[in-house]
Amino acid sequence: MNEMKMTGFQPDDPNEDPLISVRDLHVRFSTPKGPVHAVRGVSFDLRRERLGIVGESGSGKSQTGRALLRLTAGNGTIDASRMMFDGMDLMKAGAKTMRSIRGSQISMIMQDPKYSLNPVLTVGTQIAESCRRHENVSRPEARKRALAMLETVRIREPEKVYSLYPHQVSGGMGQRIMIAMMLITNPKVMIADEPTSALDVTVQMQVLSLLDDMVRERGMGLVLISHDLNLVSSFCDRVLVMYGGRIMETLDAKHLDRAQHPYTKGLLNCLPRLDGKHDDLPVLKRDPAWLNETQDLAGEAGRR
Amino acid sequence: MMSETALEQKSGSTSWLLADSPKNAFQAKCQRVYIGWMAFRSNPIAMLGLAIVLFLCLVALFAPLIAGGDGTTQDLANRLAPPSAEHWFGTDELGRDIFARIVWGSRVTLYIIFLVSIIVMPIGLIIGTTAGLLGGVVDATLMRITDIFLAFPRLILALAFVAVLGPGLENAVLAIALTTWSPYARLARAETLTLRNSEYIMAAQIMGASRIRVLFAHIMPMCLSSTIVRLTLDMAGIILTAAGLGFLGLGAQPPLAEWGAMIASGRDYLLDQWWVPTIPGIAILVVSLGFNLLGDGLRDVLDPRSSGGH
Amino acid sequence: MIDIENLGIVFGSGKSQIAAVKNVNLQVAEGESYGIVGESGSGKSTVLRAMVGIYSHWTGTIRIAGEPLKAKRSVSSRKHMQMVFQDPYGSLHPRRTVDDTLSEPLIIHGLKNREDRVLKILKEVGLGPEFRFRYPHQLSGGQRQRVAIARALILEPRVILLDEPTSALDVSVQAEILNLLSALRKTHGLTYIMVSHDLAVVGHLCSRIAVMNRGEVVEEMSEEQMRSGDVQHDYTRQLWTASQGYDRAALETFKEFA
Repeated sequence: MNEMKMTGFQPDDPNEDPLISVRDLHVRFSTPKGPVHAVRGVSFDLRRERLGIVGESGSGKSQTGRALLRLTAGNGTIDASRMMFDGMDLMKAGAKTMRSIRGSQISMIMQDPKYSLNPVLTVGTQIAESCRRHENVSRPEARKRALAMLETVRIREPEKVYSLYPHQVSGGMGQRIMIAMMLITNPKVMIADEPTSALDVTVQMQVLSLLDDMVRERGMGLVLISHDLNLVSSFCDRVLVMYGGRIMETLDAKHLDRAQHPYTKGLLNCLPRLDGKHDDLPVLKRDPAWLNETQDLAGEAGRR
Repeated sequence: MMSETALEQKSGSTSWLLADSPKNAFQAKCQRVYIGWMAFRSNPIAMLGLAIVLFLCLVALFAPLIAGGDGTTQDLANRLAPPSAEHWFGTDELGRDIFARIVWGSRVTLYIIFLVSIIVMPIGLIIGTTAGLLGGVVDATLMRITDIFLAFPRLILALAFVAVLGPGLENAVLAIALTTWSPYARLARAETLTLRNSEYIMAAQIMGASRIRVLFAHIMPMCLSSTIVRLTLDMAGIILTAAGLGFLGLGAQPPLAEWGAMIASGRDYLLDQWWVPTIPGIAILVVSLGFNLLGDGLRDVLDPRSSGGH
Repeated sequence: MIDIENLGIVFGSGKSQIAAVKNVNLQVAEGESYGIVGESGSGKSTVLRAMVGIYSHWTGTIRIAGEPLKAKRSVSSRKHMQMVFQDPYGSLHPRRTVDDTLSEPLIIHGLKNREDRVLKILKEVGLGPEFRFRYPHQLSGGQRQRVAIARALILEPRVILLDEPTSALDVSVQAEILNLLSALRKTHGLTYIMVSHDLAVVGHLCSRIAVMNRGEVVEEMSEEQMRSGDVQHDYTRQLWTASQGYDRAALETFKEFA
């Protein structure tokens, strides 16, 4: 692990077994208005890297993240020819196994910490509880670990913050607390669904740097789900671009300019740029044919 | 089942009701109602409630045809007769046909429901939304008045009102209404407070809409559905209060057939002639249940959180 | 066109008193598009809300076309300034059709030919007549925002205040709405004040930009200055850097500005 830190990150080391391997994932919902096919055959591998999933609303990016934890809503079904996590078949895992995986091995951060934290418990208690749920430690020990974790997520006065209630903390701090709560169990994979879109830009950067550290120092795999292509490409190693429940393209984040797919290009072009001009922005034209393209299967497109 | 096949045959009107771009305001409103109806129809319990309530309305409407008598004709030679082919539900202590009295009593029940609704809804809505929108002193004053009404147990307060106003059906209704409106004011105020800061209310203010317009055109329609749901769910309680007042002799006066009063006068015969008090009891139970089921179903359809959102 | 002097707004009283806006001065010429950038709590939206009269307890002077605004507005004075909100899901009444929403300002201001006006404005914001009798829940986010823009425009105001009009939209929809806004400004000679947290969006639409932090304007800059990163204040520089994307090294220099 040390070596990895020294030599910089090798996102796509082909010798390493993937942490998560997904093939042909489908998520379908039955609604009163008829069936909805939210995710249509998504395949990818996650190693110890920062993987971004980018798409507009309705692209199936969040449902892909949820499906990994089998957190799909009650009226939805998940299908996949393969969904492995660290040698375990997630498709075959029972409800009990999934519960033990969630939180302790794969964690998830949601967009708004306000809805994820229990409003009647102090944040410290919640972090300590999360620690005790997954490991058999005493209360004082859990408290110590929770305080240490608050420090790790760079909260200045951990003792003070420990006894605050969720409504007493700001959005940025709330998100750090969520991260602390998710990290205390030392997960192997973190799925972050729009973790920063409710935050101010500078706070956004600070929260991302935290996630960055966790990937570097703990060798964690991170899936960052976002609508912000610029942000994701500046942060991640690899980016999956999703549209209509399919992966349109897998890109090396450093070389977004090499994007081939018209959808990716369109997304990039329609962003106003700091260094741009006042002209009209090019408008993204969607081609229904994209939904039927045969995909570069197995998500190995990134390896080229 | 009948209605489903009928709809399939009339696919023309269905497509009119489900068209993506309505041609006029009327079609848009119809579509809204139709989609709500589709959701309501998929809930069998709610449909049962609706059926019971509709049945009550039909019975009340056609009472003279169904009852086969005016329900007040005494036949002392035939008092306390058990249910038979001639008297389906038997006769009471004065030899009156209980079936006829139940049928006529449905009119009284509907009358009470109608009067209470048209008194309680406007009072509760206006007081609650005004307090919520204007805030400050107006809010404090109106809410303290509401609190005073809330502080008394409903039946006791109704008893006090009837004692002052004198016994009788209208006074009983008035007493029930006066003791029922306060939770509606609270409900409407709470909703108004959350609506008051919403962007569409701000937009209306920015374009120059007066407070009256904001209150009646923007806030009240949003509060209306929860009020209707609440009223439907409360209906059972209102019927029971009316029956309670009737039972105590403070509601409908004899010889008017009122279900509560029927139980009251029949209670002496419970052990030997069970049908005399039991039949009106069952009628009250079924109607109360019907309104409760209907209210539950309406809540699922009308709740602004489920229909207003995405 | 717009001249704001010494604007101040205080919320709460006693110990919990917060000065949301302190001593703000802005001048916007007719037909100009002016941007206000800041993070949450900077007071940028509060300035707009004071201008349209949602808050009435402000101090200082606000002049529109030379006329000082009073805390209490007359109905006719409302016509000159309208606002577009951030949340396309929250800014339309869920129980009213597009037609109801667009007709209401006309009814309030006693304007005739309502049907023609509604159809004309729908066309201008790029919605066909088929949208006229839809409810908000039958529209996409971008379509709702177009309706909100139409509602602001239907009274033919001279000033439009835009409160984060695209931040709740997908980027492709954002591009369409930004294009629509700049086209409408040209055809109607509108004056815009746009508030956003996104420097790139403000820079795209506006020629001058004020940066707000904690209720104060820390810097005013031209579009060229912003594009080249030629900014004076440290806070602006930090905001500018953060807007460039994730940069580990630059992060270390970030600090809090009180």
